[in-house]
Formats: sequence, structure tokens, C-alpha cells
Amino acid sequence: MSAPNEDNTQLSSHFFGDLLDSIIVDVASECHRIAKVGLDRNLEEEEEELRLSAQARASVADPSNSGEANNKYVVDIFGQTHPPVANEIFKCMNCGRSIAAGRFAPHLEKCMGKGRKARLKVTRSSTAAQNQYSRGSPVSTYSSYTNSTSTSRLSNGTPGFAGEEYSNGTYEGEP
Amino acid sequence: MSSKINGQVSPQPCPHLVDFRSRNGSKPFRALQDCIRVKPPGGRAAIRREPSEVPRCSTCEESSRPRLYACVACAAVSCHAPPLHSHASAHALSIPGHEIAVDVDRAEIFCCACRDQVYDRDFDAAVVLAQTITATATTSTSGSTAMQCNVTGSQPENLRKRRRVDYRPWAPDSREHVIIGNHSIPLHDATNASLISSTELPWGLRGLNNLGNTCFMNSVLQALLHTPPLRDYFLSDRHNRYYCQQKNGAINGTKNSRLCLACDMDAMFSAVFSGDRTPYSPAKFLYSWWQHAANLASYEQQDAHEFFISMLDGIHEKVEKDKRKSQSPGSGDCCIAHRIFSGILRSDVMCLACGFTSTTYDPCVDFSLDFEPNQGGSGKSSSAKSHNSCSVEVDCMGSNQNCGISTLKSCLERFTRAERLGSDQKFFCQKCQVRQESLKQMSIRKLPLVSCFHVKRFEHSSIRKMSRKVDRYLQFPFSLDMAPYLSSSILRSRFGNRIFPFDGDDQDASNELSSEFELFAVVTHTGRLDAGHYVTYLRLSNQWYKCDDAWITRVNESIVRAAQGYMMFYVQKMLYYKASEKQDAS
Repeated sequence: MSAPNEDNTQLSSHFFGDLLDSIIVDVASECHRIAKVGLDRNLEEEEEELRLSAQARASVADPSNSGEANNKYVVDIFGQTHPPVANEIFKCMNCGRSIAAGRFAPHLEKCMGKGRKARLKVTRSSTAAQNQYSRGSPVSTYSSYTNSTSTSRLSNGTPGFAGEEYSNGTYEGEP
Repeated sequence: MSSKINGQVSPQPCPHLVDFRSRNGSKPFRALQDCIRVKPPGGRAAIRREPSEVPRCSTCEESSRPRLYACVACAAVSCHAPPLHSHASAHALSIPGHEIAVDVDRAEIFCCACRDQVYDRDFDAAVVLAQTITATATTSTSGSTAMQCNVTGSQPENLRKRRRVDYRPWAPDSREHVIIGNHSIPLHDATNASLISSTELPWGLRGLNNLGNTCFMNSVLQALLHTPPLRDYFLSDRHNRYYCQQKNGAINGTKNSRLCLACDMDAMFSAVFSGDRTPYSPAKFLYSWWQHAANLASYEQQDAHEFFISMLDGIHEKVEKDKRKSQSPGSGDCCIAHRIFSGILRSDVMCLACGFTSTTYDPCVDFSLDFEPNQGGSGKSSSAKSHNSCSVEVDCMGSNQNCGISTLKSCLERFTRAERLGSDQKFFCQKCQVRQESLKQMSIRKLPLVSCFHVKRFEHSSIRKMSRKVDRYLQFPFSLDMAPYLSSSILRSRFGNRIFPFDGDDQDASNELSSEFELFAVVTHTGRLDAGHYVTYLRLSNQWYKCDDAWITRVNESIVRAAQGYMMFYVQKMLYYKASEKQDAS
């Protein structure tokens, strides 16, 4: 005659077993339907893509492979070389001065009266900057028609500027 | 041969099912229909003669078996517990014509002779009907944006079937040939010595000069210059900059042209596809864009995705609105930018208390995807890792994913997963008239012609009050099937993947093709959050080219597969020309 505790353990173990069996059949039944009804027809293609990606990463990580040339002194596919700073000269459409291509953006910034160096502007407060960032909710956001404030910005360019600064909205039209 | 309906296969029935159907007239499962019970909210269908019935095997009196089957002919319930015993099979063997049974807990048809689950369209329709009746009893149209969420419900306004126009081939006659010859400039002009002619290299491949930290702009422009429908639009002269400026500009007779980003794009397409291979300086474009996006006019710290959105917005705003066309969002009738990139998202919010579901539709121009939060040390992965060596962790997405690697598909799966809204995000339920905890699920109602996936590589730590870039690798396929993320598929899975035409299913087979996409451009970012560099990889004639500002080089596809993608551009397969595909260099 087993002790009451042992009975309870056996009973709960039995219940657990029943529940587990039932869940297993649930999954089997669902997968069976998905397979029979043809909802998983792309399985091989997906696995092939994963395999190719893994293979690619391994080959790129391999130091013996000649990696892509990253420096700016390569010859392009048309047989051309280019200087690190673009030296094509053209006229600024705002002021008419001749500017080298590689220096056009900083010139235009001052020329149009934008950018932090051009004039005094209202800088964004730190609270405003914080509010811009999402709480990282699990549901992804999507862009709507209006120009959404991006919560994810990857900048390019030189560091050294602490915050983000914007002009105060009005812009000068064509001079 | 199994027949296809709405992209789904209706599996070949077994001979016992065929036999059963032929013997039982046009509605063989009529008797079962009244026994289908669905527990709201959003519950699974079960078979019960009375709502409170506890099914019991008539042979062994057991009710706790995982599989109990009710004979469709005589309603006798039997258990099926291989390999021990199968009272269900015994029942089928003893009485001919009693082979077909139904799983009482899962509402699935089972053939006890074949010992396998079988599928029947009429039965599935009956189950979906029962589930719908339960759902619509707790659903109603409300508000201006919510729409009826029943299975064959109303579609959003702008998706009413457009009458397809028959294709009629056309070729110019001799008179038209002359007109074409007199008014066009040949692309391959042997007399133009300045052209670096290289017929092996694709058209439109041309470097873009960096104007001073403008690689964020160059990278997106390269992708757009090779976005098939956009390229075709501009190269077909659908936006003629001379005509546009003449028609709309110079009101005051000023020397400066009227601001129109589409005109600048037109100029850029002309220049890039001219055959001239020296790098092009998109200076005018930058100037125009800075006038449009005054708040972004700074040459430092720019984000490529932000530029992309801003640019689409700029094209949208400046294009003259045609008052006759419908301006409903997501239809893409407003401008070329939205015609190409805009899709429609569907959002279903279901009250967990009563099952009431509210559905809304919203347009979107791209998909912003998050990584799975906090993968810990498993972010690294090597190709040597097999499925066996991974632990069952949250980062294992789906049965066929390599553990530890984030993939675009897993992001999309998470995007369309049913999410339980927390107690701090209670949704106001129209039926209960109070805020209730609910379940939210997103799906794609209409796919755009070109899908841009934006990876949120940005992590903000509220504790440390700083942000950092997420360098984690994200696997992305070269061919992508978006079918599982469509509203029709999501709805279907919510109803147990029954064989049934669901809202969003197109009646013609061409819908199957339009969910398949091909990758054509990848914008990558290397470096830190505040200092980095953008590069675009383009796929032309199945060759990959790296566009690093002015430098265009050819790369092996493995470089692209291994790259850290930030924005991935996919075009609908039917718009992707494979005719000119060359042999893969790798």
C-alpha cells in the first residue's frame, strides 16, 4: 500500500503526462495540416538561403580570402581612379561661386544659411531629445505618410557634435 | 492531382473519404455542423453534442485520452492510442462505412482505416462558419476607421477590384518609326567619343561624388536609380522636367527653377543613364532637398532612412495633385513614390474578455524591423554550429532557423505575431465599454511594388541615457516570399489554417506571384552611431556591384550576404527582369 504522498505524485505525474501528450498531438495535427495543405512549400528555398548566408560569412571571415578593397585608391570597373575628395568644379546654384564637389555640402550649408555655423539657432533640449526615442516596444513601428521622426538614425560623417541641432524652421528662398 | 484554390492545395482525399462523400449526398458533414463549439475569444473549434459533454471512449470508458474520435456515421466515440491500441480503428474495421471520424477536441477529420488525418473543404467551411458566427456575434463596425472583421468582410475602399485591362501588343508602323527616329537620341552612339563604352557593363551604373558627408544620400540614390519601376517611370519620360518647369514655374520670371524633386530626379536619371561613366555630382538634388527638408539641412549626422522617407515625401508634395483621382492613402494614386513604395497594413485588436475585434488599415511606405531583444552571447554564430548544439532559447525562431542568427523572416514573423498588450496598454473595447487587455496582430493587407526593409540598428538605454548602434548580423534572403505575412495568411492561421477563401485572397492565380520578391539593393552602414559610412550594393543582371560614393566595383555575392544590412530593397518578382541575367560569376 503506497503512502498518500506517493499517490499524489503519481497522480500529478499522470496528469502532466496526459497534458503533454495532448499538446504534442496539437502540434502534430497543426503541422500535418500545414504540410498537407501546402502552406510550407518554401522550406527548401529558405534553408538554402540560410546555408548560403552561413557559407558567405565563413568565407568573408576567412583571412586568406582577399576581402573587398576598402580604401579609396582602387580602380573602379570602368578603369577610373578618383581622389578621396571629389574635385569636379561647378557653380553653386545659390550664390554662383565655383565650388569643388567634395566641399559643396559644407559650402551650401553656410550659403543657404543653415547649419550650426551659419547663425545662432535654438538647440533641442535634452528632454526633447529623449522623447524622440521609443521605449523599445516589441511591436515594430511603420512609417506613415507624414514625415515621421525617426527613432533610429545612423549618421555618417565626422563626430564631434554632441546633440542635434536644427534651424528654426524658416528658410530663405532663392536670393 | 490535388486542386488549388487561392494558392492553397486541397489535398487528395483517401478512398474512404471519397466513398463517404459519395454515399452521403451534397452535405456529408451536415450532422456535425450543429456540434461545432467555439469558445470565445478566438478559441479553437471542438465537437460536442451538448456544450457540457465530456466525450468518453465507448470501448474503454476513458475520457483522458489525447485523441478521441467520434464516428461521423454513428457518433460513437472511440480512442486512438497507438501503438497500444486503437478502438477507433477497431470500430472502423467492424462496421463498413464507418471509417470516417472527427477529432472531438481539434475538429479534424480522421480516416480510421488509413489511420491518418484527412482534409475536406466542406467540413473546413463549416468550421470557419461556426468560428465566424462566434466572432461576429462579438464584433461590430464602429468608428470611422474600424471595419468589420469577419471572414468575408468588406475590403478597404481603395482595394476594390480593378478591372484588368487585356494586354494588347503594339509595334510602331513605318510612319511612327520615322517619328520615333527623328525625335530621339540613340543610347549607343558610336560617334560620341566621350562615352566610355562598355557593353558588358550594365546601363545606369555610375558613381556619385561625395559632396561632403553625403554618402547617406548617395547610398539611397543608388538604390532608387535602380529601383525597376522608378527607373522605368523616369526613363519613359513620365515626368518631363522641361515640361514641368515650363508649365508650373517661372511665374515671376525668376531665373531660378521651381522646386520639384521629381524634376531633379529626372535630371539625375538622364545623367546616370547617359552612358557617361565619370562620377556624377548630385548637387542640384541636394540643394532642392535641403529646401524641402529644412530641418534636415545640415551636412553632418544624417541618416539614410530618414533621407529616404523625406525624399518620398518631397516627391509626393511637389507633384501636382490630380483632383479626379482618389486620394485615399495606400492606393498609390497620388504620386509615383507612393505608387511604388506604399502598401497597406492591417491591425487587428481583439479584446481578451469578449473576443470583440477592431480592425484598422493604415498605409506604410516601408517596414521598420526590430531585432529580438537581448540575445545575450548567442549573437555570434559560426557556420559550424548545427541545430543540435543550440539551446532552446528565445532566439530560436521557427523550426527551420539556425539558432542564434537573426533573420529578416524572423523579424517579419515577430512583426505579424499576435502580441498581448500589457495591462498598461489596455484597449477600449466597444462591446465591453471598458478598457480591457487585448491581443494585437499586424499583417500586410496590400504589398507594395517595392518593399524597403529598414533595420532598426539603434539601441537606446534609458539607464545609461545614451544610444548605441546594434551591429548584430541580420540574415536576409535574395528571394523572399511575403505570402505568410499577408492578411489573408494571418487570418487563415487564426482560423486554424482551414481550406477557405479568406479576406484578401485574390481569386486569380496571379496573386501567388505577386507575393514573391527579389532583392536588388542593399544599403549598409559601417562604423559608429555618430560616425560611419554608407555603401550600397546593387544587383544588376545577377551580378553584384558595390557603390561606394564615386567608386563602383564588382563584388562576389557572398560579400553582400555577409554584409551588415541597414536597408534592403526588394521588388516584386514579376517586375524583375531575369531575361538579361548573366552566369553567376561566383
